[in-house]
Amino acid sequence: MSGEEEENAAELKIGDEFLKAKCLMNCEVSLILEHKYEQLQQVSEDPMNQVSQVFEKSLQYVKRFSRYKNPDAVRQVREILSRHQLTEFELCVLGNLCPETAEEAVAMVPSLKTKGRAHSDEAIEKMLNDLSLVKRFE
Amino acid sequence: MFFHIVLERNMQLHPRFFGRNLRENLVSKLMKDVEGTCSGRHGFVVAITGIESVGKGLIRDGTAFVTFPVKYQCVVFRPFKGEILEAVVTLVNKMGFFAEAGPVQIFVSKHLIPDDMEFQAGDMPNYTTSDGSVKIQKECEVRLKIIGTRVDATEIFCVGTIKDDFLGVINDPAAAA
Repeated sequence: MSGEEEENAAELKIGDEFLKAKCLMNCEVSLILEHKYEQLQQVSEDPMNQVSQVFEKSLQYVKRFSRYKNPDAVRQVREILSRHQLTEFELCVLGNLCPETAEEAVAMVPSLKTKGRAHSDEAIEKMLNDLSLVKRFE
Repeated sequence: MFFHIVLERNMQLHPRFFGRNLRENLVSKLMKDVEGTCSGRHGFVVAITGIESVGKGLIRDGTAFVTFPVKYQCVVFRPFKGEILEAVVTLVNKMGFFAEAGPVQIFVSKHLIPDDMEFQAGDMPNYTTSDGSVKIQKECEVRLKIIGTRVDATEIFCVGTIKDDFLGVINDPAAAA
């Protein structure tokens, strides 16, 4: 139980297993789930009956909250964010929430400003700017 | 947050499923067994995306069943304390409101809603600021922070807050319409 007590995403305490795991942004999950759903559609007439409630709810959720729709944009976003020495978890929080200012980004991902990491406000601002460009040219 | 992780499971299979379709049978049983389940450790298993390996089967003593260790990749949804995410409001009452982020339910107590928002009863119960500019009601999209999780055998339940900078309503389809 002690592991659970310490859990805090703001300080990146999410357990070793998840810290090393690959995080997915909502838009990526959306691509994966839609692909899977299409496959189901080919083999059965009523695919909604085949899937679990968890699948259905997740699909609805990621469709609603995907910032980027087309696969190229999704790839670009991951590429831009991965240039900035972020952990997987931080990368996905930023990709999901698309903060507009550096202040907002730090409020969403407080670990950006922890000691020993060189994320200046300008660097963050630049990164957010690049992201909004992807969105605009999608 | 959604993750793509590799999990392992020992699958028991009856000999009547053996033959050249053994692998397919194993995979479809695996999907039936684990998709949609929830564990406190890994969260909700949303979908299996691939099989990494199927180990050697071991005959169970005393039964005809054979156990295969199967490693598979899957998409899981696991909420964390301190995580900020977006959710859809599903129910509003005088105690606070409930919101859903994918498979997980999040409760935001009245005490964790900004003090200037008051509860309004009626057909469409809601929380509204005194000047009426911000309204939380069913189907609203809110950004919230998870401050606590409770793990059951089959469900994860979260408590959230919107009483912080950059949290709160992001979009209200009813108001926009």
